[in-house]
Amino acid sequence: MNRSIDERVEQLRVFFKPRSIAVIGASSKPMKIGNVIVKQLKKRYSGKLYPVNPRHEEIEGLKCYPTILDVPGDVDLAVISLRADLVPGVVKQSIEKGVKGIIIVSGGFSEIGPEGARLEMQIRDMISRSEVRVIGPNGLGVLDLYTGVDTFFLPEERMKRPPKGRIALISQSGALSAAITDWAAAEGIGISRAVSYGNKIDVDDVDLLYYFAEDEETRVIAMYVEGLKPGRGKEFIEAARYVARKKPIVLLKGGKTARGAVAAASHTAALAGSYEVFRSALRQAGIIEAESIEDLFDLARALSMQPPAKGRRAAVITNAGGPAVMATDALERHGLEIPILSDETQKKLREKFPPYYVTKNPVDLTGDGSSEDYRHALETVLTSGEIDVLLVIALVQTPKLNVDVADLIVEKARRHGIPTVAMSFGGELTRKLEARLEENGIPVYETSERAVRALWSLVEYGEIKRRLGGD
Amino acid sequence: MKGASIVKRVLEEGRKKLYEDEALNLLRAYGLPVPAAGLAKSEDEALRIAGEVGYPVVLKIVSPDIIHKSDVGGVILGLEDPGSVREAYRRIIRSVGEKAPNARVVGVLVQHMVPQGLEVIIGATRDPVFDSVVMFGLGGVFVEVLRDVSFRVTPLTRSEALAMTREIKAHRLLEGYRNTPPRDREALAKIILGVAEIMDNVKEIREIDLNPVMSYTEGAVIADARILVAGRE
Repeated sequence: MNRSIDERVEQLRVFFKPRSIAVIGASSKPMKIGNVIVKQLKKRYSGKLYPVNPRHEEIEGLKCYPTILDVPGDVDLAVISLRADLVPGVVKQSIEKGVKGIIIVSGGFSEIGPEGARLEMQIRDMISRSEVRVIGPNGLGVLDLYTGVDTFFLPEERMKRPPKGRIALISQSGALSAAITDWAAAEGIGISRAVSYGNKIDVDDVDLLYYFAEDEETRVIAMYVEGLKPGRGKEFIEAARYVARKKPIVLLKGGKTARGAVAAASHTAALAGSYEVFRSALRQAGIIEAESIEDLFDLARALSMQPPAKGRRAAVITNAGGPAVMATDALERHGLEIPILSDETQKKLREKFPPYYVTKNPVDLTGDGSSEDYRHALETVLTSGEIDVLLVIALVQTPKLNVDVADLIVEKARRHGIPTVAMSFGGELTRKLEARLEENGIPVYETSERAVRALWSLVEYGEIKRRLGGD
Repeated sequence: MKGASIVKRVLEEGRKKLYEDEALNLLRAYGLPVPAAGLAKSEDEALRIAGEVGYPVVLKIVSPDIIHKSDVGGVILGLEDPGSVREAYRRIIRSVGEKAPNARVVGVLVQHMVPQGLEVIIGATRDPVFDSVVMFGLGGVFVEVLRDVSFRVTPLTRSEALAMTREIKAHRLLEGYRNTPPRDREALAKIILGVAEIMDNVKEIREIDLNPVMSYTEGAVIADARILVAGRE
């Protein structure tokens, strides 16, 4: 267990960048797990692929081997999809073959009772005496959108694969990983790599955090966690603190209700419900807590596109009153400041604005606001030195505002280096605006509340980096 | 290791809880502010100790079998002179004899009574995942009814300990409110850090409850301490 960080990262590489993969329990029957995995790997994975099954000569047009030991040449990664009681035997063979990693997608282990737990213990024993690392059992394994490693054994008609992106996903729930993946694909949210580790008999959150910290394609780590293993909490905090200096970590906790009342003799024990303690631990670890799946990806998107903020002062530029009021409420609730712009800045704004535009903050260009007005407002506010983050609300239902406002927002935000998010809502034209902003690194949200949460996460991550001493 | 010998004795005697004097000695060994106190086994001893620790004093029953001392008339506060100490000693022994006849009585703790301050609670427990965790909250309804507390996993830094005192919803009471003066947060942070150090050093300790800790404009003092060990049943 006392491996160095470099060692862990090196060892985990095999799960994402293997040169060869053997699928043990490969099947020729459509929809069977062992068939879906071979099919999916064939689509995008470019290394050597070896189906293993003693009853077949060939699967999906690939030569099939009776056992992994019969495969000619080296095998980096073994993927096991067999009945639980057969798994220890093939783990033994895989270790003999000299694989560096094993993904066990089969279920039927400690999650079903003592019999399964016994099998799990057998596997644990074997791997503890070797260098091999194991993901699973009882999880979906790995989905790598860059290298095509895909053991998420759900057929593509059922679960779409998302585009290549910058968000790594670590999930304790297999079903949720599948649902998230499918949803992310539909939403066009890019993922770098996803891991569903199931019972985590070996590779766990700590290992994966270290790996994704070094992973070039990953900018943000999104996690769904129900619980950590007993006694591993302090190690988790230490790992997260290390990683959060380099990359933001956003986490959604499942199972938040306090544990049943404990017959405790002291206040402290009675009050220290597991969720309360978990929350404090997240704060100490420099992890940003999400409130829902949607929120997890709202925040992850912002953090993958925009830099962390240098302070808590927010400005809002809008052409719609209602959303700006709701944004102001939400900013207050999240503890962000909405400073009234200085007289000098307001004067500068008014030089080109009609008298009925509001210049305090929010800067309200009203329904008359044109792209030119946005240009002036963006330039003036972003160079004022009075704010740290910017929310741009742009509703394109008004006749004066064109979709080209997107290019202005992108250009000004980039030039002045102020973290910026946008809020817009509507139909077809709005979709165009959204696409143009998102393609150029400005995250867009459909409500003020969600946009403010995203903005808050940029502020929060800035503070985390300053507190932990980021690079 | 500081405190190890006290805990060893407690475990050897098959107890789950440190006696009041043991708890105070352990805290003192870690440099935490506790009132002067001593364990009396007789009336005369109680009088002698009262003279040493200084009036006013508090008497508390010390017994491995009594968890809630006040419920059995085992605590008497605000004793100003030898006469009242003698009388209180008798009253405690009589009351405990009536209300908890089977309880073993080790003696009576004679403790200097600390001045009233803003009452806070500082505690620690062991979480199954994170192991030692420290807690901070304001005394009375704030903790019991409102559950207004903050936590940290140990080890923690001084600035995190200070942040714990700011995180509770009622933190304005510590900053000074209406006629009340601001409280010495540094002194509270020091106690939090001390409690964390004890938990990290002495693995046998399961829970610490310092309730109340009197918080003043300058300094703070632990007025009552309960320390539990992971004893065998």
